[in-house]
Amino acid sequence: MAIRELKVCLLGDTGVGKSSIVCRFVQDHFDHNISPTIGASFLTKTVPCGNELHKFLIWDTAGQERFHSLAPMYYRGSAAAVIVYDITKLDSFQTLKKWVKELKEHGPEDIVVAIAGNKNDLGDIREVPMKEAKEFAESIAAIFIETSARNAVNVEELFQKISKQIPPLENPEVDSNESFKLTRQPPPSTRRCC
Amino acid sequence: MLFITIFTVLQYTDLFIFKYPHFLYLIHQPRQDPPPAHPQTPELRAPLSSPANLGPAEPSALAPPVTIEAFCDQVQPQPQTPSSSSGVPKLCGYLQKQGGPLKAWKQRWFTYEEKKSQLFYYRTPQDVTPLGRVELGSATFTYPLKAENGTFHIQTPERTFILKAVSQQVMLYWLQQLQLKRWQHRVQQSAGSPGCSDSTNNNNNSNAPGENQPLPNTSDFQLTGYFKSCSSLLLQELVWLLHKALEAAQLEKRTCGEFLAAKGEQERLELLRHRERQAADLRSRLEEVKTEAEALRRSLAQRDAQLSELQENLRMMMEKNQAKQEVIVKLSDQVTACMSDPLHSLSSPSNGLDSQTFKQLQQEIENLKDDIEAYKTQNKFLNSEIYQLTKLWRKSSEQEKSLMVKCAYLEASNCQVESRYLGVLRKLQESKALEAGEREAVKKLIEDALRGELKSVAKLTPHRDHDEYGFKIIPDYEVEDMKLLAKIQALEIRSHNLLHQEAGDRPLLGRWAQYLAGRSGDDLCASPELKSLIRAGVPQEYRQQVWRWVVRARTHSIKDHHPQRYTQLCEKSRTSPHPASRQIQLDLHRTLTTNQRFSSPSSPALQQLRRILLAFSWHNPAIGYCQGLNRLAAIALLVLQSEEDAFWCLVTVVEAIMPLDYYTKNLVASQADQRVLKEFMAEKLPRLAAHFEEHSIDVSLITFNWFLVVFVESLPSNILLRLWDAFLYEGTKVIFRYALALFKYKEEDILKIHDSVEIYQYLRFFTKTVSDGRKLTSIAFNDMNPFPGRLLRNRRAVHLERLQGELRELEEQQKEFVTESAERKDKELDTMVSEDDEEL
Ligand SMILES: Nc1nc2c(ncn2[C@@H]2O[C@H](COP(=O)(O)OP(=O)(O)OP(=O)(O)O)[C@@H](O)[C@H]2O)c(=O)[nH]1
Ligand SMILES: [Mg+2]
Repeated sequence: MAIRELKVCLLGDTGVGKSSIVCRFVQDHFDHNISPTIGASFLTKTVPCGNELHKFLIWDTAGQERFHSLAPMYYRGSAAAVIVYDITKLDSFQTLKKWVKELKEHGPEDIVVAIAGNKNDLGDIREVPMKEAKEFAESIAAIFIETSARNAVNVEELFQKISKQIPPLENPEVDSNESFKLTRQPPPSTRRCC
Repeated sequence: MLFITIFTVLQYTDLFIFKYPHFLYLIHQPRQDPPPAHPQTPELRAPLSSPANLGPAEPSALAPPVTIEAFCDQVQPQPQTPSSSSGVPKLCGYLQKQGGPLKAWKQRWFTYEEKKSQLFYYRTPQDVTPLGRVELGSATFTYPLKAENGTFHIQTPERTFILKAVSQQVMLYWLQQLQLKRWQHRVQQSAGSPGCSDSTNNNNNSNAPGENQPLPNTSDFQLTGYFKSCSSLLLQELVWLLHKALEAAQLEKRTCGEFLAAKGEQERLELLRHRERQAADLRSRLEEVKTEAEALRRSLAQRDAQLSELQENLRMMMEKNQAKQEVIVKLSDQVTACMSDPLHSLSSPSNGLDSQTFKQLQQEIENLKDDIEAYKTQNKFLNSEIYQLTKLWRKSSEQEKSLMVKCAYLEASNCQVESRYLGVLRKLQESKALEAGEREAVKKLIEDALRGELKSVAKLTPHRDHDEYGFKIIPDYEVEDMKLLAKIQALEIRSHNLLHQEAGDRPLLGRWAQYLAGRSGDDLCASPELKSLIRAGVPQEYRQQVWRWVVRARTHSIKDHHPQRYTQLCEKSRTSPHPASRQIQLDLHRTLTTNQRFSSPSSPALQQLRRILLAFSWHNPAIGYCQGLNRLAAIALLVLQSEEDAFWCLVTVVEAIMPLDYYTKNLVASQADQRVLKEFMAEKLPRLAAHFEEHSIDVSLITFNWFLVVFVESLPSNILLRLWDAFLYEGTKVIFRYALALFKYKEEDILKIHDSVEIYQYLRFFTKTVSDGRKLTSIAFNDMNPFPGRLLRNRRAVHLERLQGELRELEEQQKEFVTESAERKDKELDTMVSEDDEEL
């Protein structure tokens, strides 16, 4: 079975639950007091997809505004970006829009964008209506899903949806044991900030 | 004659004391038999009168002696003429006196002089001029315990007399008497009547003149006389009356003669009648007088009865008084005895009243002595027992210790064997030469190995899960995909800890103790010696002190200007919350979550941390709050234990050590450091740099947060804190040194991995698997040399400038893009984006 390595980065405001989603996805574990991410953290998880194995190389980034300038290091060469917001924080949805904009300007051209409205277990204090978010996602042709890392809702599904959106390999003869070149699109040097 | 005999008999005894009243009486009543030379006081071998004191010239100043009860019991209160009390007992006798520059003992004759309360001493009793005198009025007496028996001291304000009596008892007797004398003298002085003979029992000396000591019976006589003279006065009056009557009768007789010579019968008759009337009158008067006399006699009898009654009363009073006197005498004797030596009164067996108690007491003493002996033996035994047990205990604890060491060694080698076994399994797993069945078996073995948690590894030695700062000793590896490797590393750390826990820090501790001895925490001063000590790591015992000193040294200029700075900042953040407070609150519960002191939401450390971060956000508004500062402050708090010190430590790191703009918007200086690191890696670790290049590994993705939070949560706590020791003292160069050292430490391992994802995976957690902190330190400070600070500064400056240029470029591009897209009028997205721009 062929293994495809897919670089995925998680973006979004601080505290929306990016690390929690990754932790749920990779270790099927939820920690209330998970440390804030500094810089970024790196995890992998392999899931089957059709007749391929997709090995997700997940870069979980830091959410605080001033870490934004580091983000290009992580989304550079990514096959997909998951932009997470917290359904109980309108602010985080505004931040999400900024990320969408930044990806459009500086991100890889054919990057798959997924929008995840996390903490949907907290529906009673929701600030971002699902409809609005969904419409926004459709407007930019992004995947949309509401998740709960806490209750393990839609986390697997999120990554499955991404898997499906990844275009199949143009060259199936590629040796599965060779590491897949992540930089399908070497970014122009002017775009680099690091 | 008698006295002379006694004197000659006793001349050669050492001590002549005359004090015992009964003895005095015996001497003064020659009708009685002479007393035995040694009265019934065997302990006091020679309490005797001296001949000198019996001379008639002696004044009667000495009071009826207050003396030891034991000698009083034979004394009956006897009627005495005042003169009989003038036989003055006198305190005198031979004593050894130490004197002269040679401190030789010389025999001297001591006499107590009552009037001035002085003790005179002569060469012999016959001498007239004394050799010297001792003022007793303000003297104190002592006797040294360790000196020769019988030695005692009389200390006057002028000098100390060292005297010696023949025996301890005699000495005690002297002391007792001297005390008594001194006391009597004082009392007399304070009474203000030098003639007053004795203040203890003489309170009626004003009774009759000439009587020094009024005695019960004399006053008795006196009283009777008084009453008798009273009645004789009445009788005289009566006689006088009768006399008058006689005179009247003679007058009558003369009138009768006149009558007989009268002329006429009538006249005679008249006269006769007149006489008759007169006679009748006289008779009745006589009768009257007779009854009067009778009445008087009756009243006399009555008074007599009264008198005897009073006499009876008086006698009773006297008796009572006597008894009271005796009690007083007894009591004051006891007091004196107690003051001089309690043993002394006990050792006087002639006391009839107390002999019973005395015997009992003696018995008790005997018993107690026996007890003491018994206890002594017991004590001796127990001491030897303790000694034996201590020896046994020491031996077994030595054994235990050596067993523990053996255990630790065995466990360590077990860990090593296990880790090697897992390593082999790991290789086998990767090997492609295995058949399917074998592959299955290997997989099973790996699963088994992983299932047995690290905790279930047979722990032969007791060990803690957390260190002094609350960190887990073996860190968690949240690496699902590299479990086997993580376990191998955990085993390595464990075996390393087991082998080095003994030898590791001991010599270091000694060096530090030596260095800090005699220095207070405040006056450490920078020196190459201190630098090398700190590089080796500050022992946990001294870490707080050293950090506090470094922090103080690096912040004192601000602190001196604003001593109340922290309190003011806290106050400010309470009244007006900084915009960053939301973010701070959010991160608070996500700080060092694996540390015991921060893991509980109710932990006081969290509130301290909150105040520190809020205060800092006002202290440095350019930074406010940057994620990661919470970890720096948390480490400071753990080590310094004080909120304010931790705040200043945070200030030290952010403002004094780290370059400008390390934590501000865009973190440019941090990003610049990543490029500097890459440059140093290319120089110091060229093989590894090439390896990373080959596999397109961007180390800054990993190392960025090492720098930003100074390795917090990336290194095992013991190594982390050692790194921080040097970092606080030396600055950022230490971060570079350690970052490079970490790669160097695991260089071979990394070079073996040829898959970029695996390299990333490995890099993500390998720092936590470093087990030999000393090796790492040695690499950092030796292998990475030379590491000139100037080079670092230059590179930083270059990269910072370049980076800032790039950022400006990027901003321009962004602006261009915005205008471009506005022109393109991309409907949906454009509206969205422009909305956001307004918000921005
Ligand atoms: N109720 C609820 N809480 C969640 C959920 N996911 C995450 N959280 C909580 O949200 C907080 C932040 O989670 P993180 O995963 O650290 O958020 P993050 O986006 O990684 O934050 P940064 O690393 O600072 O960017 C944590 O306290 C989580 O427990 C969820 O699905 N439901
Ligand atoms: Mg995170």
